[in-house]
Amino acid sequence: MFQNPEIALDDLPGMEDLDWQKLHPAFVRRMQVEHALIALAPLAGATFISVFLHFPLMQSTILWILAIGFAIVFVSWPRVSVPRRGYVVRDKDIVFRSGVIWRSVTAIPYNRIQHVETSNTPFDRKFGVATLQLFTAGGSGGDLKIDGLDAEIAEQLRIYVLDKVGVSIEIA
Amino acid sequence: MKSPEPGSWRRTSPLAILFFLGKLLRDIVKNAWQSFAPIAAVLIASSGNLVDRLKLVVVVAVILVIVASVLRYWFFRFRIAEDSVLIREGVFKKKQLDIKFDRIQGINTEQNIVYRYLDLVTVSFDTAGSSGDEGNLPAVPSAFAAALREKIGRPLQRAGAADAPETIVESEPLLALTWRDMIPIGLADKRALLVLALVSPLLDRLGDEVDSVIANTLESATQGAMQFGIVGGVWMFVTIGIGVILLLAMISIAAAFLRYHNFELFLDGNTLRSHGGLLTRHEVSMDLGKIQTLRLQQGIILRGFSRFVMTARQARSSHKNDSSKNFTIPVVTEELATALRRRFLKQEGRGLIQIPTSSRFSAISKYSMRMPILINVLAPLLVTAITYSVEGDPAALLFLLWIPVSLLHIVKTWQHAGYHYTDEGLVRRSGTLGYRTVALLYRKVQRVTVLRSPLQRRKGLATLRVYMASGSVRIPFIEHATANRLRDYILYKVESSDKAWH
Repeated sequence: MFQNPEIALDDLPGMEDLDWQKLHPAFVRRMQVEHALIALAPLAGATFISVFLHFPLMQSTILWILAIGFAIVFVSWPRVSVPRRGYVVRDKDIVFRSGVIWRSVTAIPYNRIQHVETSNTPFDRKFGVATLQLFTAGGSGGDLKIDGLDAEIAEQLRIYVLDKVGVSIEIA
Repeated sequence: MKSPEPGSWRRTSPLAILFFLGKLLRDIVKNAWQSFAPIAAVLIASSGNLVDRLKLVVVVAVILVIVASVLRYWFFRFRIAEDSVLIREGVFKKKQLDIKFDRIQGINTEQNIVYRYLDLVTVSFDTAGSSGDEGNLPAVPSAFAAALREKIGRPLQRAGAADAPETIVESEPLLALTWRDMIPIGLADKRALLVLALVSPLLDRLGDEVDSVIANTLESATQGAMQFGIVGGVWMFVTIGIGVILLLAMISIAAAFLRYHNFELFLDGNTLRSHGGLLTRHEVSMDLGKIQTLRLQQGIILRGFSRFVMTARQARSSHKNDSSKNFTIPVVTEELATALRRRFLKQEGRGLIQIPTSSRFSAISKYSMRMPILINVLAPLLVTAITYSVEGDPAALLFLLWIPVSLLHIVKTWQHAGYHYTDEGLVRRSGTLGYRTVALLYRKVQRVTVLRSPLQRRKGLATLRVYMASGSVRIPFIEHATANRLRDYILYKVESSDKAWH
């Protein structure tokens, strides 16, 4: 029988008390290692300039302080940013939050998902993490990408989401 | 050839050579540097009379281009299958395209002046999806194109409106533009500025001439006719300026004639269709159900005419940001815009007022101005201070002029920003000198984000960003609670909707 119950706007499911799922604990380490490798570049640059180009001591020191400062902030940043990230798998959609300074909460309904992808780099595999990507139509500004999931959970999520998408999927 | 029923492989009319010629020439112009560099190299490397060589090169190039076009025509075949259009083309590199009917969003046609005499058109398929290859059928009879459109349109409409039985669809005229409408279209066209950019080097040279004329007159003025000299120079500047503006306006209006002459808009059942154009006739169609956002735009010039540009956008493929997925109605009045919006968004669009001066719009928070003001006041101050302390030149104070200009800009942008929403959709308003309003239906939303900067967190504000298949719509600096409520409501609408979003 056709039913059309009235929806009280105040009863709409909100996001105030969601149980945010954390990312894989090894993900912080994984990001720190990656950032450390990246931070080597300015350090190498500073070394090159001060040693081989015979920069005056004063300028070299400033350069070194800058490079080391950058490295410290950059390498410790994942400790701040990763705990801010979290996701919630709900019955009708998946919600992801991220950001330390600019904080965002994004929700993708399952009936708008075009396809789902999991991926991992060799680096990811070392730490046992994987990335889940959800694609919607239009593709403006990148689709939802959740890094640093436990590889097994990512795979489970992929299957779960695909199952949810299942009936409603119709490639435009 | 007349019927689009499933059949065997066939060629198009030999006049398709014209189409391939045009395409080839466009490609050559687009890649001008690569195309001409080898020729130039050959010319420079070879000795002898340059003019003779040049003639030879031109003749050879023309022959090559013509031969290539003929070959491309010769190897171009197409076939209408049960549920798709198949195209085989390529001289050396063979290519086969398989365009499924259900992927085709619209069939657009173009008819240049030669084709018009022979009643031929070039069909292009507007497809949704990731493939970058879009098929063309050059030089097919227009009756064939119409039949093809009918054939492909049929299943779409059946799926779109299940409750509407097979009715004979009558074409209902919505709008016909006259020559008078070309003036606002032409004047409002931003491409006129592009022409200005191209012409400006020329103007620079002209400016030099004017300078020397003024210098001369000044010189002679010192010998007696001072008054006349300066006045004459100023007049000359003003005349040249007005002349350039008039010329641009005329070019722009002429371009409007080329594209929109005899523009007509109709509604065939659920399909929006327009045709128009002076030399090349463009025929564009779009299924109403595929409209993702409806945009009403009014620049400062159109404000003077109290007219708008209306654009219906449909889902775009993720790889390119092309405007071919837009359906543009180049000039509409306020009443017509409202009437069209009612037709396009139907019942669901009720109450989504797009006229920017409507009192329905709520303002966004004044805090949206804080960051831009800080940046636009501090930066000029800093630049002025540095320049002044280094150069010691009072002219550095001129940088401070930036402050009032940018403040005006920021305040205007805030005043023009706004939003309003109903149970089914929302409208966002933006702009600085003009206005732009975008209307969307919640059920077509793809995903929603609520974003908060540190300032917004302190003031209980947020930015709501709604992603559509045609791009995203941002409503900045609204109450955090409102943003959350809207988000939750949009999600509810999307998740409980069983209608197709595309």
